[in-house]
Amino acid sequence: MVNMDKILVVDEITKEYPGRIAVDKISFEVRKGSIHGFLGPNGAGKSTTMKIIAGLLPASSGTVTLMGESVGPEKLHLKNLVGLLPENAPLYMDMSVENYLKFVGKLHNVKELTDQVDKVMTELSLLEVRKRLIGNLSKGFKQRVGLAQAIVYDAPFLILDEPTNGLDPQTVVELRDFIKRLSQEKTILFSSHILPEVEQLCDQITIIHQGKIKASGSLHEIHQKFRQGLVLKIGIGEKEVLPDLSGMGKYSITNELMIGRERQYHLVFEDDFDCRPEIGKFIISQGLHLLTMQIESPELEDIFLQVTETLK
Amino acid sequence: MIWTIWKKEVQSYFSSPLAYVLIALFSLITGVMFFNLLVTYTDGIQAIPQNMAQEISFVEEVVLRLFANINFLFLIFIPLITMRLFSEEKRLETLDIYWMAPVKEWQVVLSKGLAAFCLILSMLFMTIVFPLIIWGIGVKDLSLLGAAYLSVLLNGVCYISLGLFCSSISGNQIIAAILSILGIMFLWMITWGGHLNSNYMISEIFTYIGITSHFERILRGLIGTQDMIYYVSFVLFFSFLTVKSLGRRNW
Repeated sequence: MVNMDKILVVDEITKEYPGRIAVDKISFEVRKGSIHGFLGPNGAGKSTTMKIIAGLLPASSGTVTLMGESVGPEKLHLKNLVGLLPENAPLYMDMSVENYLKFVGKLHNVKELTDQVDKVMTELSLLEVRKRLIGNLSKGFKQRVGLAQAIVYDAPFLILDEPTNGLDPQTVVELRDFIKRLSQEKTILFSSHILPEVEQLCDQITIIHQGKIKASGSLHEIHQKFRQGLVLKIGIGEKEVLPDLSGMGKYSITNELMIGRERQYHLVFEDDFDCRPEIGKFIISQGLHLLTMQIESPELEDIFLQVTETLK
Repeated sequence: MIWTIWKKEVQSYFSSPLAYVLIALFSLITGVMFFNLLVTYTDGIQAIPQNMAQEISFVEEVVLRLFANINFLFLIFIPLITMRLFSEEKRLETLDIYWMAPVKEWQVVLSKGLAAFCLILSMLFMTIVFPLIIWGIGVKDLSLLGAAYLSVLLNGVCYISLGLFCSSISGNQIIAAILSILGIMFLWMITWGGHLNSNYMISEIFTYIGITSHFERILRGLIGTQDMIYYVSFVLFFSFLTVKSLGRRNW
């Protein structure tokens, strides 16, 4: 029985090159209608995995199942179901934007091609440059054209490999909004280095490191799984020193900084019991000025660093 | 699908200066060669007694030499045309556009090969003035001229298929062109090796594998089945290798 809730199932995929393993038995699933964030440092195996899913690279072992069918070279009908924007958008610099999109559309046998190309160019604000050669466009416009070629044949599943990388802030915001709108009718596998972007856009994430999956699930599940104890931000007077709080539980100070006339500490307690009332009372009883006390939720960045073991 | 890719490739050729430069250069060189052959022939028959002048054949000295020279020019021109077809796309990673679409490797190879063939046709079209002059001189032999054009076209198709393969195995255009030139030279040298070898069997095999003997036969209008089999199998063999080469990187 095929579970249609899962548009993509990656099962024990391995990709070996002579002398190294790029991807090592990775498994994860992408739910239909979600934006699935694919996170990992450079060289983690993200692009390789994305190319395997898109059918551009064969896996050494394992299977990729897309909408209930395993991906393979003979499955030409699956090609129209996946749109890919690789890290380097595949663009013909000597073609105009409109002709290029029509060319890609024709390769995918798009019906009513002119209307579809016009629609995509309108959505991505490409109408003003439709007649211009792609080679003469700015990086932001080139990236829009790259995204346009991935969606011009209306594939229900999109793979976007760092689509906002290296773009100006305005284009980044516009593309993010567009991707968010796209997710209303498409499933998107989205890789990015920008963790707040992933947190903002994605419902689910998979973290890959050194070719292995370190975590996969919804943002909430990931937060739960890598939940630390209570994280507190405590601010006291500039010339004061935080007293020993070990009576409240085992803790460590992860950061100390001065903000104006406030000395601020970040404390991580092993327990997640909310002991703020006791701490507040204790600090005031020591004659100190309690200026700030706030629970901090762990950021995805903290989790990412923790998972990829770059922060020891 | 083939039409779509072919059209894009042809537009790509003619939207860059490369095609026009190659056509212009080819026309110039063949024009100079034709002029030189005519002058040499005229000087030749004027320099010898009139009764011996008939011994010097216009067809041999001008027509056949002209097309043999065109074949020689292809050694440089066709690798320049085919070198970018796959290597450039591999470098820019644009081949993924095809592999993301329901397109088969052979369709891409055929389309690109046909586009390169069209450029060769455009180059040869510029030489159409030579047969008109030859016709005007009095050599009104359509089959001779037809066979001469057929011979260079068939060689051209072989060189294109070889060039496509070289382009498919290298991500560098220059290396692809050098490989093609060496490959074509090798095809010529095999025939010479056949002529030099004293062993009859080896000599025959070398002569058959080399392209020159087939070219010369067709150039003289002696179109045999074995020659056609050679050309068809040559093109199919290298097209097959190209498809496999692309497929190996793809799947």
